[in-house]
Amino acid sequence: MTANSDATAGNSAADGQAAGRREVFQYALRRFGVYLFTLWAAITVAFFIFRLVPGDPMNILLGNLTRAEGRQRDAAAEEAIIARYRQIFGMDEPLPLQYVNYLRKAVLGGLDLGPSFVEYPAQTKDLVFRRMPWTLGIFTTSVLLAWLVGTGLGALIGWLQRSRLSQLAVVISTLLQITPVYLVALGLIIYIGYTWRILPAGGPYARHLQPEWTWEFISSLLTHAILPMLSNMIVIGAGFTLGMRALMISVLGEDYLTFARAKGLSPFTVLKDYAFRNALIPQVTALAIIVGATLNGTFIIEVLFQLPGLGTLFVQAMGLRDFNTMQAVVLFSIFAVLTLTLIVDLALPLLDPRIRRTA
Amino acid sequence: MRNPSIIVGLIMLTLMVLVALVGPALLESTLFAGERPGMRGSYRPYQLDSVEHPIGTDGDGRDGLMVFISSIWPSLQIGLIAGATSTSLGVVIGFLAGYARGRLDTLSRILIDMVLVIPTLPLLLMLAAYIERWDLYKLSLILGLFGWSFVARVIRPQVQSLRERSYVDLAVLSGENSLEIIFLELLPPLLPYIGYVFSLSIVGSMLAEAGLQIIGLGAGGLPTLGFMIAKGFRESVIAVGLLGQMLLPAGALIYIFLALNLINTGLDEVFNPRLKTTVEGN
Repeated sequence: MTANSDATAGNSAADGQAAGRREVFQYALRRFGVYLFTLWAAITVAFFIFRLVPGDPMNILLGNLTRAEGRQRDAAAEEAIIARYRQIFGMDEPLPLQYVNYLRKAVLGGLDLGPSFVEYPAQTKDLVFRRMPWTLGIFTTSVLLAWLVGTGLGALIGWLQRSRLSQLAVVISTLLQITPVYLVALGLIIYIGYTWRILPAGGPYARHLQPEWTWEFISSLLTHAILPMLSNMIVIGAGFTLGMRALMISVLGEDYLTFARAKGLSPFTVLKDYAFRNALIPQVTALAIIVGATLNGTFIIEVLFQLPGLGTLFVQAMGLRDFNTMQAVVLFSIFAVLTLTLIVDLALPLLDPRIRRTA
Repeated sequence: MRNPSIIVGLIMLTLMVLVALVGPALLESTLFAGERPGMRGSYRPYQLDSVEHPIGTDGDGRDGLMVFISSIWPSLQIGLIAGATSTSLGVVIGFLAGYARGRLDTLSRILIDMVLVIPTLPLLLMLAAYIERWDLYKLSLILGLFGWSFVARVIRPQVQSLRERSYVDLAVLSGENSLEIIFLELLPPLLPYIGYVFSLSIVGSMLAEAGLQIIGLGAGGLPTLGFMIAKGFRESVIAVGLLGQMLLPAGALIYIFLALNLINTGLDEVFNPRLKTTVEGN
């Protein structure tokens, strides 16, 4: 009898596990479906925003050209130029057809987004891929470091909530958090870069160097990357610190924590296993929320620090009204934001068994 | 509303608005009586700080302090108009999405999430490239049109949670129609939260505007704080020794953000009293 009931218990546990795994799988699948749909929809919205805004980019382009050459052409030549441009950029067809072509080339043509104008006839795709490592490098490194530092610091401040030091830290973090990232960047450039000359504050690496695998180049690259990353880190890190502190404080009020203390566990164990773990989950969700805003900030930082990333590419492309390139950058940012959010969302069930069950 | 954060924030903000509104006229009649401090070429450019020009003159030969003081109001206006636009749009959409059930609810959630993830900065820049003649209202409206998804995203769950309360059921039973329920039952308790979101939207819009100016692609020529900072950076006024022409506008922006942040914190506490007890108690 006992053996029998043990066996059924074992079975049902195994069943439960299998069902759980199936649920996780279903959650992941559904989340991925939403991801694909959102990706398509966002790209569509972006495409039509680019086209439906009043004003003909070709006229602006022609105006730029005329100004650059410093002389007027006759009307027929202008017509010819515009027609040629329209053809190159695939804008000589009706809007719905342009849209279908755009999607078809982008998906089936191996991300063929047309030629660029900034570096004609280089493919837009190649330009974006060449610039992408800068943006992603600065972005991911600074966000991850900021998250680690902020989460650790916030947990500590929340834990020591009554002390003077932690109150001071809250005031400082609040001030830093509300400061726009570009003002932090400007401050760093002006003071650390130019006034005190502690670190380089412009360009990707020292001008006399060539990209190669030498220690000199790599160290130059790294020192040039410190200030751009720091600007991002200070602002986001402060936000994470405050968020984690608030979470920590609300967790500290829970009964199970009083119980853990009453059991006689050491304060460190209580902090690590009971308070920190439970405060961590919303903090990971917060990571997903800031991705978009931080990418915007990174674009501005690149421009200020003259790094050859996507933000700078966009600004260059805009000066020339280079549609394909601008669109490609927007496309890439949409893709990056959505994918990073997806990764965080899929990682959440690993951290929190409750989501696994309810999802 | 006897919340200290809100009061301090409101006082800070009111002071700033006063300076912004009265400051220019006051300066013109006292320090620069009979001069035209805001006109290009009124003085020799890049003069260092002096009694006549407390933070020097800028590259266009205008008095720095005058430029600074008269930049505050346009910045605030952009924040207010854009914030009001995105808040009202977002509240309407958030209410519709939160009040609807079933398929409409799912659809609206997907729509909001979708617009939310579209990176706004490149799109804003795109628009900036198209629009030939910028004015303050155009810029504010565009900024506002980009901000509604965030508002809708946070309003929707609040409406959903309120809709399930028993007092709303009671209202339904006593024969109120949907409009009455929305305006009489759901809206009033959410007002502090809407104020909180409005304040956040103002910050967001001002942040975006100054960001556009600083990478040099904003509505050039609009005399805002962001434009002054951007101009100062391009003309490297710090190297010349005109520290104030960058620190003052940057400081003013941070001051406004701090004031709004205080109001935010306060409104959040009013809306969600548990927040306060958990922070202070224990």
